[in-house]
Amino acid sequence: MGTVHARSLEPLPANGPDFGALGEEAEFVEVEPEAKQEILENKDVVVQHVHFDGLGRTKDDIIICEIGDVFKAKNLIEVMRKSHEAREKLLRLGIFRQVDVLIDTCQGDDALPNGLDVTFEVTELRRLTGSYNTMVGNNEGSMVLGLKLPNLLGRAEKVTFQFSYGTKETSYGLSFFKPQPGNFERNFSVNLYKVTGQFPWSSLRETDRGVSAEYSFPIWKTSHTVKWEGVWRELGCLSRTASFAVRKESGHSLKSSLSHAMVIDSRNSSILPRRGALLKVNQELAGYTGGDVSFIKEDFELQLNKQLVFDSVFSTSLWGGVLVPIGDKPSSIADRFYLGGPTSVRGFSMHSVGPQSEGDYLGGEAYWAGGLHLYTPLPFRPGQGGFGELFRTHFFLNAGNLCNLNYGEGPKAHIRKLAECIRWSYGAGIVLRLGNIARLELNYCVPMGVQKGDRDEFQMWFLLEGRSVLCT
Amino acid sequence: MGYRTPPGALSPRAALPQAGARSGRDAGPRAPPTEPGARRRKCSPAAVRRAGSSWPAGGHLARLAAAPAPWCAAPGGPRRPELGLGAAGEHAEGRAERAPRACAQPPCLWWRKPSSRRSQAFLQMCNLPIKVVCRANAEYMSPSGKVPFIHVGNQVVSELGPIVQFVKAKGHSLSDGLDEVQKAEMKAYMELVNNMLLTAELYLQWCDEATVGEITHARYGSPYPWPLNHILAYQKQWEVKRKMKAIGWGNKTLDQVLEDVDQCCQALSQRLGTQPYFFNKQPTELDALVFGHLYTILTTQLTNDELSEKVKNYSNLLAFCRRIEQHYFEDRGKGSSSIRSS
Repeated sequence: MGTVHARSLEPLPANGPDFGALGEEAEFVEVEPEAKQEILENKDVVVQHVHFDGLGRTKDDIIICEIGDVFKAKNLIEVMRKSHEAREKLLRLGIFRQVDVLIDTCQGDDALPNGLDVTFEVTELRRLTGSYNTMVGNNEGSMVLGLKLPNLLGRAEKVTFQFSYGTKETSYGLSFFKPQPGNFERNFSVNLYKVTGQFPWSSLRETDRGVSAEYSFPIWKTSHTVKWEGVWRELGCLSRTASFAVRKESGHSLKSSLSHAMVIDSRNSSILPRRGALLKVNQELAGYTGGDVSFIKEDFELQLNKQLVFDSVFSTSLWGGVLVPIGDKPSSIADRFYLGGPTSVRGFSMHSVGPQSEGDYLGGEAYWAGGLHLYTPLPFRPGQGGFGELFRTHFFLNAGNLCNLNYGEGPKAHIRKLAECIRWSYGAGIVLRLGNIARLELNYCVPMGVQKGDRDEFQMWFLLEGRSVLCT
Repeated sequence: MGYRTPPGALSPRAALPQAGARSGRDAGPRAPPTEPGARRRKCSPAAVRRAGSSWPAGGHLARLAAAPAPWCAAPGGPRRPELGLGAAGEHAEGRAERAPRACAQPPCLWWRKPSSRRSQAFLQMCNLPIKVVCRANAEYMSPSGKVPFIHVGNQVVSELGPIVQFVKAKGHSLSDGLDEVQKAEMKAYMELVNNMLLTAELYLQWCDEATVGEITHARYGSPYPWPLNHILAYQKQWEVKRKMKAIGWGNKTLDQVLEDVDQCCQALSQRLGTQPYFFNKQPTELDALVFGHLYTILTTQLTNDELSEKVKNYSNLLAFCRRIEQHYFEDRGKGSSSIRSS
C-alpha cells in the first residue's frame, strides 16, 4: 500500500479524550485496529494542501486530475484511502517509478486546526529506457531490442520502439500512446509496424507493413476500441511445393479497414480465472477507405467461469466468426479464419482443419469453436498452499467447425454446413500457471470427428498461452 | 482449371477487347517481380488501348496492338511435335500427361510481352495447345519471379529456358533436327539475344526517364490502389537499375544502348539472310525467341520510336516476324478454336 505516515494532531483542540494516545503511536505504518478506528473516523479533517515532490518534466494538469479526489476526504480514514487510490492512479500512468504518500498536519499561517497536508513523493522514470532480449522458438532465433520513452512531453505520452532481428525474419514496430489527462481509460495510440510471419500449415509467408490509429474509451462497464488500419500485405509461397491455390494468392494487396471492438471482462484473472465472464465482440469493415480488399468481418468470444465445490472451476467458452467479401473478388487467404491447435480445438494440428488443397490449409470464411473445461486441484493436493497451488488438473471437451461461404445457398445452408461434420476432441491434462501472463499445459487428447484432409495429432502438447511448442 | 480463352484470343487483334475486359475482373494482387513468389500483372484496358502499333510493311497489319498477354493455359494433352508448318503429324492422344496450362503473363506491360510472345511462339511451334491466362500477380506466382510460367498438372515452370527443357523432357523439341554444331550456334545466338535485346528492353523501360515517367510507372502500378502503385513502381525501378549497374549497363546512355541493339539486329539479320527461319526450313527455339523480342519492340508504343526504327532497318527481320505472326498466330487462331476453348 505504500507508506503512510501519520503524526500527532497536536494543534487540534483537545476535543477527543484519546488524543494523547494517538500521538504516541505516530510511527506505526498500519492503521490501528478497531479500538482506535472509530476515533479516527469521528475526526473531521480537511485536506488543505497536496504537495508533490520530485516532479520534473511532468506537467501539472495531469497530476491534478489524478489526485482531485483526495481533497474530498472528510476524515482520516478517507484521506488514507483516497491517497492510496490516487497513488494507484499515478502509478497506472506509467510515468513514475515510485510513489510515496506522506500525510501530515498542516503547518503555516493559514493552517486550520484540523487541516492536513498530503505529500506525494515521486520518482520519475528516466527519459529513455531500453531492453534487450533473445528469443528462441518456432525454429527461429531472434534478437529483440526495445526502446521506451515514457512521459515524452510531460502528459504521460509514451513512445515505444521494438526491433526484432531473427534468423529468418525481421520485424519492427513503433508506437505512440497518449491518454486523456484525468481519464486514463480514454486513450489514443498510433502504431507503425512491419511484421513477417511464416505459416507452414498453409505454405505461406506473409509480410505486413502497416500503420494503425486507435482510440479506446470506456462506456459504463465495457471498453471499446475504434481503430483504423492500413496494411500493405505481401504474400508469398514458403516453398516450391506450395499448392497452386496458395500460389494464386501470392502478391501484394492493400487493406484499409475500420474496426470496432468491445470487451467486457469481469473475470478475476485472465489466466485460470475462477469466476466472472468475458465477452469480446469485434467487427471490421475493409475497403471503403481505400485499398483493394473489401470485406466485412465479425467475430466474438465468450467465456463463462463458475466456481464449484472442492475448489474446482467449470469454464465454458465459445468463439465464432464470419467473413463476408464485398464485391466480386474472393476473400484473401490472409483474412480468413483458421481452426485447430491447442488454443481452439485441441487434438488437431495448428490451423489444420477445414478446406485445404494439396496439404495446404486455406482457411475458411465462417467458423465456430467451443469448449467445456473443468479445472480441479491436483489429486491428493501435493504442495498445498505453496507450489502445488500453481497446478491444476484439466478435463476438457473441444468442438468446432470451419467452412467457406458460397453465397447463393442462403444462410440456412451455411448453418447446416457448419453443424454437420463437427470436429471434436476430449482429453485431460495438467495446467501450470506462470504468473499472470501465461499458462503451460500438458494434455493427453483424443481427436474425434476428423474429416478428410484434417490433420489430427494424437500427442502431448505443451501450450504456452497462444504459442504452442509441440512435444511428442 | 477455370481459365477460359475465347476462340481466337491468341490473335493479338482479337485478344484486345477480351483481355481488356477480363483484366478488370481478374486483377488479383500483383506480385513484385523481385520476389520469388508468383507474380501477375493486371492488364488495364486503358493501357491496352494506348499501346497502338504499326507494322511498317503492309498496311493491313497496322492495327497490331500491344496485346496483353492473354491467359495461358493448355487444356488437353500435348500432341506430338509437328515441326514444320501445319503438317498433320501424328497426334499423341495416348499420352497420359496433361497439357501445359496457366501461362500467366502480364498483359499490357510491353516489356513483358517478349517473354510471353516467345514462349507462346515456342509452344505453338511445338504444336502444343496452350491456354493463356492473364493475372496481375503473375510475377509473384512464378517460382523464380519471372514471367511467363506454365502450369502443367502439378508443376510450375517459369522462363523460356526451363520451359524448353521441360517440354523437351516430355518429348517435344524443335531442335532435334540440328547437329551439334548448329545447336551450339543456336545457343550462342540465343545468348546474344538474351544479353542484348532483353537488357535493352529493360533499360528502355526503366532507365530512360522519359519512358519511365510517361508510360512505365503508370502501367506497372495500374492494378494497385494508391499508394501501392507508386511504391511498387519505384521499388521495381530501383531493382532494375541495380541490376543494370551490376551488369555494367548503369552508365550507358540511350544512344549506346541503341547502338548495341543495332549491332545485335545486324548479326541476326546476317544469320537469317534470305532463309525463312534461322536454321533453314524449320523453326527452332531461336526463332521463337527472336520473334518474341522483335515483335514486342515493333508493336509497343514508347515515347520515342528509335528502337523500333533500328529494327525496321532490317527488312528480312521484319519479313521474318510477319511470317511467324501470320502463320502461327493468325492462322492458328482462326483454325483451331475448337481445340483451345476448353
